[in-house]
Amino acid sequence: MSEDSHPADSPTPCQDIQGDGRWMSLHNRFVSDSKGKEPDVLFVGDSLVQLLHEFEVWRKLFSPLHALNFGVSGDATQHVLWRLINGELDYISPKVVVLWVGTNNHGHTPEQICGGIMAIINVIHQKLPHAHTLVLGLLPRGKNPNPLRERNASVNALVQAEVASLSHVSFLDVDPGFIHSDGSILHQDMKQPLSRKHAV
Amino acid sequence: MSAEENPAAEPAPVIDVQGDGRWMSQHNRFVQECKDAEPDVLFVGDSMVQLMQQYEVWREVFSPLHALNFGIGGDTTCNVLWRLQNGELENIRPRVVVLWVGTNNHEHTADQVAGGILAIAQLVLSRLPRSKIIVLGLLPRGEFPNPLREKNAAVNNLLRASLPQLGPVQFIDVGGSFVHSDGAISSRDMFDFLHLTASAYRTISTTLHELLLQMLEEMPQERRASLV
Repeated sequence: MSEDSHPADSPTPCQDIQGDGRWMSLHNRFVSDSKGKEPDVLFVGDSLVQLLHEFEVWRKLFSPLHALNFGVSGDATQHVLWRLINGELDYISPKVVVLWVGTNNHGHTPEQICGGIMAIINVIHQKLPHAHTLVLGLLPRGKNPNPLRERNASVNALVQAEVASLSHVSFLDVDPGFIHSDGSILHQDMKQPLSRKHAV
Repeated sequence: MSAEENPAAEPAPVIDVQGDGRWMSQHNRFVQECKDAEPDVLFVGDSMVQLMQQYEVWREVFSPLHALNFGIGGDTTCNVLWRLQNGELENIRPRVVVLWVGTNNHEHTADQVAGGILAIAQLVLSRLPRSKIIVLGLLPRGEFPNPLREKNAAVNNLLRASLPQLGPVQFIDVGGSFVHSDGAISSRDMFDFLHLTASAYRTISTTLHELLLQMLEEMPQERRASLV
């Protein structure tokens, strides 16, 4: 569902190419969900966030924190930016926003992706001046070493450096060591697009 | 519609556009699994199949049937055809093959999609002449009525009519309970109005499991002689 042709830091909704309007349905549902709830924690991002909600770990670890999940599979930074500017932050005051996005920014350089993530952090700070943002590092991907792993590692280094001076933002690398000594990732730890295992 | 005329029946691998070669990695892993395992049931298809294995229901209901899962998210009939022709049916003799694919065939008409699914069923029967096949109908999708729901329903109607002619092939439509009286699909059943939640998988698994047990019971167990 993501598009590469837009800048990583320019708010862009997802076009309904397939014909069932699901992206907008999800956005609308998040906005209406947020009107009824008072979450302390908001998770926002791509499929890695979205899928978290579907597994037992959500119920055990995150529901008790009064958490909302605004993850949409396939989203790149420009899509998350659009969603947050267009209603998803308007009715809630979470204390912490957990942001996990960037791995779907195909065609963007690490600098551009970092720029997209920083743009999101700025929007969150504008709309929720009292919230702390926790940015999660992009995970390695692909069975063997490949350019996307390098790209994601570069993004992480850039973001980590940029947020170091910001008191309202923290960076967390949640990779517990998915890459083995031979450079491979096991399929038991990560499946493909939608179904990454959440070894939280 | 012959394979030459139907683009949905043209085998095609997924090209690695993103740059991490994940599709081919998965295909290669499945080919290797064919060498290591002796499944009685083989599930093959797109994310509908793949995601099933991530939930508890797989371990509880399907693993005990000695099932393998060869689902890859995003796959079209063309991709599944290519995978099955290029090693994913080698060295195994599952008694039942469960096929669930078609919802990602965005470039194709309902007729073409149904033709692609038929082509896969025909391929499986030619390679595994003693196997039976279960074809799952395409689920409705999208929060509200939309053209893709109509298209998927049309595919199902075509399959319902044409699959029985192939022989040991059963079609089941497990999507009946997901569209409510107001035409809406709930995110409690499909968390993104396409993919099923754990509880929705439990609902459909009951029907599927019963049918599988029935089919497995009807078929005498093959002696595990060396596979030719």
